[in-house]
Amino acid sequence: MFGTLSYNKQKMIIIISFLLIPLLLLATFTYYPALKLIYYSFTNWDGYSPEKPWVGLDNYREVFSNPDIFKVFVHNFAYFVMGVVQNIVAIYFAVVLNSKLRGRNGFRIMLFLPYIMNGVAVAFMFGYVFDTTNGSLNLFLNNIGLTSLAQTSWLGTEGLVNYSLASTGFWRFMGYNMVIYIASLQAIPRDIYEAAKIDGAGSFQTLWRVTLPNMKAVIQLNLFLTVTGALEVFDLPFVLTKGGPAGASQTYVQRVVETAFAYNNYGLASAMSIILLFFVVIVLLLQQLVLSRGGDK
Amino acid sequence: MNKKLFSLGFVMITSLSLALTGCGSGNNNNNASTATDEPAASAKPDNSGGNAAATTEPAAAGGADISGKITFLTNRTDMIGKEYDEYVKRFNEKYPNIKVEFEASQTDYNQQAKVRMASGELPDVMFIPTIPNSDLPKYFASLDDLGLNDQITFKDFKSYEGKLYGITTGNSTSGIVYNKKAFADAGITEVPKTWDEFLAASEKLKAKGIIPLASNFKDKWPLNNWVYDMPRIIEGKADFPNDKLNSDTPFTMDNGYGKALSLLRELNEKGYLEKDINSTNWEQSKKDIASGKFAMYFLGNWVINQVIDAGTTSDNVGFFPLPYDNSGKPAAALSPDFFYAVSKDSKNIDAAKAFVKWMIEESGYEDFAGFISPLKGKESKLPQLKEFQSTGVQMQEGTPDDAKVTEISNKAQIDIPAIAQEFVLAKDPQKVLDKWNKAWANAKKDLGY
Repeated sequence: MFGTLSYNKQKMIIIISFLLIPLLLLATFTYYPALKLIYYSFTNWDGYSPEKPWVGLDNYREVFSNPDIFKVFVHNFAYFVMGVVQNIVAIYFAVVLNSKLRGRNGFRIMLFLPYIMNGVAVAFMFGYVFDTTNGSLNLFLNNIGLTSLAQTSWLGTEGLVNYSLASTGFWRFMGYNMVIYIASLQAIPRDIYEAAKIDGAGSFQTLWRVTLPNMKAVIQLNLFLTVTGALEVFDLPFVLTKGGPAGASQTYVQRVVETAFAYNNYGLASAMSIILLFFVVIVLLLQQLVLSRGGDK
Repeated sequence: MNKKLFSLGFVMITSLSLALTGCGSGNNNNNASTATDEPAASAKPDNSGGNAAATTEPAAAGGADISGKITFLTNRTDMIGKEYDEYVKRFNEKYPNIKVEFEASQTDYNQQAKVRMASGELPDVMFIPTIPNSDLPKYFASLDDLGLNDQITFKDFKSYEGKLYGITTGNSTSGIVYNKKAFADAGITEVPKTWDEFLAASEKLKAKGIIPLASNFKDKWPLNNWVYDMPRIIEGKADFPNDKLNSDTPFTMDNGYGKALSLLRELNEKGYLEKDINSTNWEQSKKDIASGKFAMYFLGNWVINQVIDAGTTSDNVGFFPLPYDNSGKPAAALSPDFFYAVSKDSKNIDAAKAFVKWMIEESGYEDFAGFISPLKGKESKLPQLKEFQSTGVQMQEGTPDDAKVTEISNKAQIDIPAIAQEFVLAKDPQKVLDKWNKAWANAKKDLGY
């Protein structure tokens, strides 16, 4: 029956029918909830009752009139710092593990494995690592003679707790970044390296002038993931510290979740989410602006 | 650039909605090991209104007449396939035609139940999550025809406009759960009756190398009894938490809140709590209490059975009221746990009601769970509760929270256990109280109360 249709029409039908299911899934589970979220942010909904009273921009006004809400972004900064370190280390490992090295696949798998684990499981595990009195980290420090350091309350010291938590993220996501970097390294044509070698470039010069510029797009992508990850971190502090001590490790998303489910203010929480969305957009625009100054390729 | 922006937005919406959906599941998975232990007694009760109306006999009293299949959404996932099977067997001897199925809740019962309410798919029998009592008739059937109205405790707690919608599954009190051997080892011969004696006992335990009191400070919920029970006991006023409504400074050093929090702070300052209160482990603490490494908990009586299960014998675990002052007159709070409710839209309402009634009267669930019976005057079989009663303790039945108080608290984002954490950790506790008083006053003004 399709024989009478033109080739282009047949093509369209095939493309649409193949895409229908993924698009439907995307619309149902991504765009529909996102639209609902925007709608809720203009209501005073408590999260369960059938009535959703419309309050206009009140929720947004409330968020912006409460400076406390934005103070928690200071805590997210630790995750950003660790994320940058994580990217540098990932590039390092990617370069090392992309060279001819005995057992490099083994190392790659070892570094990548933490990413496969469930975030909550990882958080639980690190609960035992960071425990002050019985934790493996302090036990280790004690055994190598750093007894004074072995008394550290990793999750109970204001100022330290966020870095402790972020280091868990580092452990978990470094391998993932590394794999992306390895993929991009392998896409760099060999002949550029050969040309550089002929021109007498040393290994550091090769890295700085050939490898890194060629990876720029991927570094940008990874930075994007790092920034959004840092802004949206939730599971680690939620499981490990519940935002403690005294709110020192509370993150923005955690606050959103509390507002919605502990204080029954779904509308305000939705507005906070939308604001986070715009925050991410702004940060990314800034990043684009800064990083693409050298001109697009 | 435009295209880039578009795809950027695309990615962001995707990642954001992922993050948000992630929240839901994250919530459900996170405290997997603590959740089933956490009692609902700590959940803040909501308001109620009016008395339950006159009782009538259940619609169909004869056991074999009632038939149908019912589902019970329970938080006690540990009992499914074990105790619940045994309950159903006994239940079916009386009601052979009712088929009972158990559905295990996710770790956050309250949240899951609310989601189910929003979608209108409620199980036949469930527990009431934290919703205002005025919403009860929207979801639940009246239980007045069970004929239990004059026997149950906390009858007005989940009632609205004279109709009863929920019956407590069991009641708890809070007090000091202690390891008798640890006390004996430290040379404590009788349980402390005043705060000074309590401190002296703690000092003896500490000198012996035993951590006197396991606060589980980090997990926050174990502080619930300090902030929900102690203040009203100290004030000697069941309705004290609702007095907040008449004040712009509900948290002061010389009222119940300040006094209760100061007790906890004093214990921490004297080194009677865990070495690092920001790094505590709930599961481990149960084993440590059982083995005598820690000596005491200040928690509800529900924890007694869990300590015994963690590796000790029942006769090694004791229970006495916390002596919060030097008067020597013990008092303790009585609080309800979860409330049974029957869904309004249940296809087999009679079967569901029969099951609820049976659970309350005959299942023996309260003894298994370590509760005081939901029925008035029914004596507990647990030796620890007998010991507790023998101190001549005065039990104070709690009152439901005023909906306005809950509303202001939510608006101000006041979570009293979190305030307790801040209070204990802060250099200047007065500042913490000031901060939350201000939040309270602002929210109160915004809402116009």
